[in-house]
Amino acid sequence: MAELTYRDAVARGIAQEMERDERVVFLGEDVAKAGGVFKTTVGLYERFGPLRVRDTPISEQAILGAAIGAAMTGLRPIAELMFADFLAVCFDYVANEMSKLRYMSNGQLSCPLVIRTGNGGGVRFGAQHSQSVENWTMMIPGVKVVAPSSPVDVIGLMAAAVRDPDPVILHEHKALYAIKGEVPDGEIVDTLGTAKILRAGRDCTIVALALMVPRALEAAEILQRDHGVDAEVIDVRSLVPLDTQTILGSVAKTGHLFTVEENPRLCGWGAEIASIVADEAFWDLDGPIVRITTPHIPLPAADHLEDLALPSSARIVDKVRRVMGG
Amino acid sequence: MASTIIMPQLGETVAEGKILVWFKSVGDEIKEGDDLFEVETDKVTIEVQAIVAGRLSEIRVGPGATAKVGEVVAVVGDGATANASTRGDAPAAKSAPWRSPFEEVSTPTDRFGPAKGPNGIHMTPLARRLIVQHGLDLAMLAKEADRRGAKNIDGAAVRAAIETHLASPAAPPAAVEPPIRSELPVQESDVITLNTMRRKTGERLAESWRTIPHVFQAIEVDFTAIDLVRKTRKAAFQKAYGFSLTYLPFVARATCLAIVAFPQVNARFDGNALALSQDVNLGVAVDLDHNGVIVPVVRESGDFTVIGLAKAIRRQIDKARAGKLSPDDLSGATYSISNNGAFGTSFTTPIINAPQVGILSIDAIGLKPAVVSTPEGDFVAPRMIGIVGQSFDHRAFDGAYSAAFLSRLKQILETRDWAGEISSDL
Amino acid sequence: MAGLKAATAPRDELQNDDIGLDRRLELFRVQVEIRDCEKRAYDLFLQNMIKGTSHLSIGQEAVAAGFGVAMRKGDKSFCTYRGHAHTLARGASMEGMLGELMLRDIGLMRGKGGSMHLTSVEHDVFGSYAIVGAHLPIACGAAWRAQYLGEKDVSVCFFGDGTTNIGAFHEALNFAAIWRLPVVFVCENNLYMEYTPIGEVTAVKHPAADRAAAYGLERILIDGNDADVVYRTALAALEKARDGGGPSLIECLTYRHSGHSRADPAKYRPPGELEEWLKRDPIVVYRGRLRDFGVAPETIDAIEAQSKRKVEVATEACKASPPAPVELLTKDVYADGGWAWRN
Repeated sequence: MAELTYRDAVARGIAQEMERDERVVFLGEDVAKAGGVFKTTVGLYERFGPLRVRDTPISEQAILGAAIGAAMTGLRPIAELMFADFLAVCFDYVANEMSKLRYMSNGQLSCPLVIRTGNGGGVRFGAQHSQSVENWTMMIPGVKVVAPSSPVDVIGLMAAAVRDPDPVILHEHKALYAIKGEVPDGEIVDTLGTAKILRAGRDCTIVALALMVPRALEAAEILQRDHGVDAEVIDVRSLVPLDTQTILGSVAKTGHLFTVEENPRLCGWGAEIASIVADEAFWDLDGPIVRITTPHIPLPAADHLEDLALPSSARIVDKVRRVMGG
Repeated sequence: MASTIIMPQLGETVAEGKILVWFKSVGDEIKEGDDLFEVETDKVTIEVQAIVAGRLSEIRVGPGATAKVGEVVAVVGDGATANASTRGDAPAAKSAPWRSPFEEVSTPTDRFGPAKGPNGIHMTPLARRLIVQHGLDLAMLAKEADRRGAKNIDGAAVRAAIETHLASPAAPPAAVEPPIRSELPVQESDVITLNTMRRKTGERLAESWRTIPHVFQAIEVDFTAIDLVRKTRKAAFQKAYGFSLTYLPFVARATCLAIVAFPQVNARFDGNALALSQDVNLGVAVDLDHNGVIVPVVRESGDFTVIGLAKAIRRQIDKARAGKLSPDDLSGATYSISNNGAFGTSFTTPIINAPQVGILSIDAIGLKPAVVSTPEGDFVAPRMIGIVGQSFDHRAFDGAYSAAFLSRLKQILETRDWAGEISSDL
Repeated sequence: MAGLKAATAPRDELQNDDIGLDRRLELFRVQVEIRDCEKRAYDLFLQNMIKGTSHLSIGQEAVAAGFGVAMRKGDKSFCTYRGHAHTLARGASMEGMLGELMLRDIGLMRGKGGSMHLTSVEHDVFGSYAIVGAHLPIACGAAWRAQYLGEKDVSVCFFGDGTTNIGAFHEALNFAAIWRLPVVFVCENNLYMEYTPIGEVTAVKHPAADRAAAYGLERILIDGNDADVVYRTALAALEKARDGGGPSLIECLTYRHSGHSRADPAKYRPPGELEEWLKRDPIVVYRGRLRDFGVAPETIDAIEAQSKRKVEVATEACKASPPAPVELLTKDVYADGGWAWRN
């Protein structure tokens, strides 16, 4: 067992897979010699060499396109998009190419690749470099989407993503890069499509993702201690495939659902979950489904303003408390 | 070496359970005693613990899915692991249950009534479902919610109503009155529809009444000594245990002691033979404010002292109010006690719960004039008097036996060193 | 350095035939079959047996044939939505191609992809791509894989003149150049970007050739209607890539006889332009070439007759083929064959 930062976990996860399978290659901007602008891939270039860990020009379309071409013909590439906002620059490759090639070719073509990208805000980078865009990728049929909230999940989900024969987009969170967590020794492989109940509870279900997970857990402690509300906290982890059964099972027990989403309000990932629960679990609901999200605005750079925008544990406590009547 | 985790036996009549939530995930290390999953039956919701240790390698029945008792729901220990191959893909994920592409989300087809109650009060979907599933009286709930000033009827309100309506097969309700025959036309005012629970209980009562030849006997008991012990120990008991000491645990204790000498009252009768029960499992009926009766069972009552019985009975009542009675708590009674004293009635003739053969009733205990014999002569004095009765199945034994039992019971109640028994505990 | 060549083979070629008769016959056969198949597609569209849209290569057969014959098994083709010719040129069957256009079960992708997405991995056709320019970086990736694994195949990427103005074109060229990838970029300049003359929307006269220098690449501009020229150019580029010499950008001047797509009657063409180009119809050119090399008219006729027969057989097979079973609707979204996004 060791304590590892989230950013070191990224490097460890990639290294674990590159060690295991020589078909795994890695490309991105400043990922090799510089070890990544967020220092997430330090040491990989030195360990695996310039043929397997490659720096690219600022060419997001080429990065994703090349990853697709390589994956389609026999490699297992990992491509970095430095900021998740840049998905907008190369979105054709997510929306029209990697997600559809298998289907259109009737199964002849495949894209076993991983895009890892720095998602989320809270780091004062301004509106174009702070967005939470996991929902952009969730809505395209044919890809898989995960967003780990802890170092151990980074490694486990990275490994699962690399080994998965479908295109997987792994949203790392920039504000989590410095957090530490316990990580067991040895190989770690998780399973895509599985949510985790991090805190069992009886009164309500709170579903969160990435940076919102530690905030939801903090809120749950306060809710219990100060307001007598016993919240069950679920880390969704995987948007596609979505572990609806864990969420539905929890709502069947508690009768109340809250989502905590960093993405702006409209069409956030929680809207889909709310819709599923309102449909399948309608008769388990004892109150309205409530989404706690960033408002539907671009993100400001000013730190106090950005902190106001993203859901804080205080805002979560306040909303849950008011709805639960605690 | 792999061990299987199976859906455990959840109660005598329960054949399957629905797993609500898994507390562990595939890959987690499990210790014995860890909570594994929560399962719901039609009676209770309980947590199931691990009885083996190891790594959870496979979950076969996931959250929301149902498994029969005995079915394998998970595997612990070396099963297929995700990292077996070095060059292969991830192991094929278990494919999701087949869904039509036009039914990606399974809309429930049940209907549970309108969204508003008769007085216009809103009801949550959960409340609506529970009301229909448990056959509750919506009009009554709506009135009750109005009275409380609640803005809607929610799950908590309905669950509270369910608990007070919950009736085990061993529940002894009030005596059934014969239907009134009237030639005059009766003006219909409020029609109170019986909910499912009441209906089912009613059927059982009618069946008992129809098949068992009930005989009722009563005996007057002087509770003054017990009352004195209660009064003197009241404060200490309240302080130690957080609730007050009533007559019921004394009666329960005395009943267990009396049964030792008269085992036939603690038996099961199947129509042909009388099977004496080894243990005394007392079903203690407790009235809950006109909202029904609940009869939790205290198993092996014979092993408890008065204090122990007081605590055990209280625990069952608390569990009942919290909706946490397990299947075991609602079954297996060998003899029952019906406690009807709350409103000052003199005696009650309760209905026996087959296959038991007897049921005790206690009513109001209060000051009455009684003749007390002293060496100086006989005097009239105010004493705490209550009538203790027994309905018994005349096929099982006869009146003399029953009377002798009641006599013994009276003797224990009136002459036992209750102070001594209690002081060793308090 | 292949420039524009005259249609008739010069004397020295006739004496030192670097291509060889077998290959020449093959080049002719491929062009003829493409032509006949595409014309059949045209007719079937008029009969409403081909739905949606269809982008035909009538008049552009030489590029597809030249490369198709030059490429080896293992060399990978990446095409645009105007990819029927290239797919046939790698050996995919006519009924597979026509069947896909007709959206029948016999189609190369059983009707899942349609005209714009022809794919036959068996014949090394790694997809036809409907988003302009998208496949250029993808071809780079395939080439990177070859370079990384030390495999000797070359990726060839076909696209039109309009592609040269989209971002992905520039990213891919730069990318391929700096990594010296074994990829060949083939621009079929048919003078029109959809309905607009390419000159009106491009900063340079030759949309691909004039940009090669920007990526440190050689300027290659050839007569795209002469299959021999295409073939030789292709061979050189393939060999260069295979030997680790990096990418090539080749601009082939050609012309399409029909509109951009079936929906386009191409009224935007100036009068006389089509007629001029029809004189340099690649099949007319190559028929002449074969005669120059002494091929008997009967041989030529036999090839053409055989082609027409094959098209008839294929057409009948397609007409007899049912539409794909409905289960295919949700098949192959993911690798497990299914489409499940939830449990």
